[in-house]
Amino acid sequence: MTAFGGKKSERSRRLGALPLISLIDVVFLLLIYFLVTSDFSQEERRIPSALQTEGGGIRSVEFQPQIIDIVPAGDGVRFIIGQLETGEQAALTTMLARLPREPGVAIRAEPDAPVWAIAAALQAAKDAGFEKRSYVPREP
Amino acid sequence: MLRTDRSARHLIAVDLTPMIDVVLQLIIFFMLTSKFGDLRRTDIDLPRQPGEQAERSKEPAMIVDLTGDGLTLVDSRPVTVAELESLARAGLASAGEEGFDVLIRPDRNAAASQLDRVLSALAGVGVVQWKLGTFDPGSLGP
Repeated sequence: MTAFGGKKSERSRRLGALPLISLIDVVFLLLIYFLVTSDFSQEERRIPSALQTEGGGIRSVEFQPQIIDIVPAGDGVRFIIGQLETGEQAALTTMLARLPREPGVAIRAEPDAPVWAIAAALQAAKDAGFEKRSYVPREP
Repeated sequence: MLRTDRSARHLIAVDLTPMIDVVLQLIIFFMLTSKFGDLRRTDIDLPRQPGEQAERSKEPAMIVDLTGDGLTLVDSRPVTVAELESLARAGLASAGEEGFDVLIRPDRNAAASQLDRVLSALAGVGVVQWKLGTFDPGSLGP
């Protein structure tokens, strides 16, 4: 019993010699690091698109892209494709899904239309499976 | 034999704690400073769309921010249209086979005319592709 007890106290003496202070320092610093960096974790996404000038880039009537016009209307916007018209992104995606993909889709907006509507139209074209997406900026 | 015992006792007496502290402080310093790359971007309320995930390893050659108050910033520095054209021309000239990658980060409520002015300038110098920066509302973040 005495021998066992003696061994135990020797081991605890050895364990007591471990530099726990630096370990605690490191753990706290890592904790602070992750707390700080989690503020920057807002993930940025991208929607790629081609850039097309007005009147340029269309070489064949056969492959003329379908055009989405964005027009401001009250608090929101209207997305217009020929005779079709909607104010909702989901409805625009459904409308685009019925159109042929090969010619692609071109988007243009009225000068006072908000940028979120352009993003919505690009996203709808992407969701509808259009690989060829282009934006046509209006000449200033 | 006696000499060996003495040197062993000396080695045991070396305190490694400050060295470990310093090494870890340096690691943390470099982890934090690697975030300075984000100085190319300003804090902007981006359009809320899922878009597609950006390649973390590939940063765009040019980042253009369009603020809600009508400013155009390249790498967080306000620029005029002429300066933007000049920067894009230089970027296109130095771009390799990978092409000239332009990311535009507009304020979601900015007017299309502001975006059109920038894109017309870029198209005028020969840029044919661009990416619209968005924020995925489904992702974690403030």
